[in-house]
Amino acid sequence: MTGRDSCRGRRIVLAVFLLAGFAAVMGRLVHLQVLQAAELSVRADRQHQKAVTVEGIRGSIYDRRGKVLAMNMEVPSVFGVPASLDNPSGVARDLARVLRVRADEIEKKLRQERNFVWIARKVDPEQGRRLERLALDGIGTVMEGRRYYPKGALLSHVLGFAGMDGQGLEGIERRYDPYLRGEKRQIVLQRDALGRTVFPKGLTEQGPSAGHSVTLTIDEVIQYIAEKELDDAVTATQAKGGVVIVMEPKTGAVLAMAMSPRFDPNSVRGLSADRWRNRVVTDAYEPGSTMKIFLAAAALEEQAMKPRSLINAENGKMTIAGTVIHDHEKAKWITFAQAIERSSNVAAAKIAMVLGDECLFRYLRAFGFGERTEIDLPGEAAGLVKEPREWGRRTLASVAMGQEIGVTALQLASAVSAVANGGWLMRPYVVSEVRDGHGQLVAQVTPQVRRRPITAETSRTLGTILEGAVTAGTGSKAAVAGYRVAGKTGTAQKIDPETGAYSPALSVASFVGYVPADDPRLTIVAIVDEPRGEAWGGTVAAPIFRRVAEQALTYLGISSQEPMKVALAAHTEIGSGIGPGIRPEIRMVP
Amino acid sequence: MRLLAVLGIIGMLLLFVWERVDIVRVGYRIEQLKTQKVALQREQDELRVKVSALTAPERIAKAATEKLGMIPPQPGQVVMVRAVEPAPAVGDPSPEVHVAKNERFWRKP
Repeated sequence: MTGRDSCRGRRIVLAVFLLAGFAAVMGRLVHLQVLQAAELSVRADRQHQKAVTVEGIRGSIYDRRGKVLAMNMEVPSVFGVPASLDNPSGVARDLARVLRVRADEIEKKLRQERNFVWIARKVDPEQGRRLERLALDGIGTVMEGRRYYPKGALLSHVLGFAGMDGQGLEGIERRYDPYLRGEKRQIVLQRDALGRTVFPKGLTEQGPSAGHSVTLTIDEVIQYIAEKELDDAVTATQAKGGVVIVMEPKTGAVLAMAMSPRFDPNSVRGLSADRWRNRVVTDAYEPGSTMKIFLAAAALEEQAMKPRSLINAENGKMTIAGTVIHDHEKAKWITFAQAIERSSNVAAAKIAMVLGDECLFRYLRAFGFGERTEIDLPGEAAGLVKEPREWGRRTLASVAMGQEIGVTALQLASAVSAVANGGWLMRPYVVSEVRDGHGQLVAQVTPQVRRRPITAETSRTLGTILEGAVTAGTGSKAAVAGYRVAGKTGTAQKIDPETGAYSPALSVASFVGYVPADDPRLTIVAIVDEPRGEAWGGTVAAPIFRRVAEQALTYLGISSQEPMKVALAAHTEIGSGIGPGIRPEIRMVP
Repeated sequence: MRLLAVLGIIGMLLLFVWERVDIVRVGYRIEQLKTQKVALQREQDELRVKVSALTAPERIAKAATEKLGMIPPQPGQVVMVRAVEPAPAVGDPSPEVHVAKNERFWRKP
């Protein structure tokens, strides 16, 4: 064999090896790209893509002037990976300092034989930043939405609260949960070899939509005024609690709905349902003499009585079905108007007898008692108005005095508003509009008439009588200087749960009314539950009405009298509203 | 001619590769900006919550009375003034306003 042959032979061997190598590579390529293509493609997608379920941010809740009452914020939740911790007790100590929880509790979690444990969910952003600076091994954070109620306990019973997973559990949060809740959507992210996100799959893919925002009819300032005055009264009288409602009588829009005691929806853990229940809509009580307003309305509407009709008040004492009815003031002959002004029980019983049970029942139902007002809040009670066939021998007189009947504070506010606005029973509401994440209007609530129980003439006549109840009757402490006030006091004895009879010590003091009487802008209901001492509606609840009305009227700029015409001096500046922008250099215009 | 064709093909290939690389680079940049946006959004939300808490009527009333020594206005101290559109007539430069008289709004503390 020559050297040339040997060289050629080596080239052939090399070529064969190379060809075999290429063939092997091509074969593998065909195997991977053709035969196993589908399976490998799925595996690659799994490694490069990450599908995550994302929920849009929960919508905010605003008051009627756009002040934030509830909103969501992304905050860190802290988790641990116990398997990757070398020194659980040291890490637990560091975490405890930042999170202000016991180190032994955290250590217990970190010593579990699990791959993942929650250490603290939805902590303050500042705590999250401190943890980030510590950079502890085996400890991480993920961002979650947390509900904040920046005004604390303000309006807590109406707002309600949302749970840990963002679901509405009480109040507006619950009723409007389908609107407030953000859209849930699964999105696919592309990851590189280091696990970094490159692009969402498909450039047009959008994130989930945020929840809608809800605007209330409530005004946070009037709400504050109502809560403060109620709290002061409850504290002063050592009462069990109380409620105040402020409503626009012409529309049914609720401006304030205050309850005492209050709670902070930011920390509801450990509180019982009794504490957060919205008692304005859920609890019915025997209203006492405030029901005489509707008795009077029925009597005037039926023309059974006129303001000057005379009634024998029997010197403040009358026996009905074996029980004696007493009056606070003894009198013989009084007019129908005086009977309401002085809150005579004897006269009320006699007026009811003139009307009859069927007629009185019909008017009570017409004013909305015994049925839900259909307010947009959860858990509303219908109250209790028995059918006349279920009435006992004393029931007619009892109902006339506000006993043997159960009404909610909201029903009372709604019914008094009907007296104030010319006879129209409006549907009360607390949400005025719903807007989507881009600010587009989704739903708008407009005032809704339910029915008309009385005519405008009866409304006017009754209004005059109710003004008398404030100027010359039991409600004198509700009078607001400079304004005409119409209203009625009520003092209802409560049933003693031990004896089952009316208790001489337990009572509910109330005042319901509206102002200005000649052009009603505010209906206010003030109820104090179990006040101690001089526990009359006129002494306990009427002053709440006055103080709330005084401040709310000023705040709303509702003037009591005919404006005085004046001209400003030439250099006077007009500010953005009332007050500092205006210099007091004014001169009278003839 | 052949050389030009080869150079053209190589150029096209390089352009294609550059484009792919640039897409990935822009993708990273977009993600970076998105992260930045989310962080700023969180900061904004945090500030909104703080502003809302600081402007709560209860806190303002407390600060006004306890820190600044303010008291509710006494009867007669609040005067409502409503500006009326100034008359277009020449010679009367003073705008008209309505002032409610004898207003008594606030109770004594």
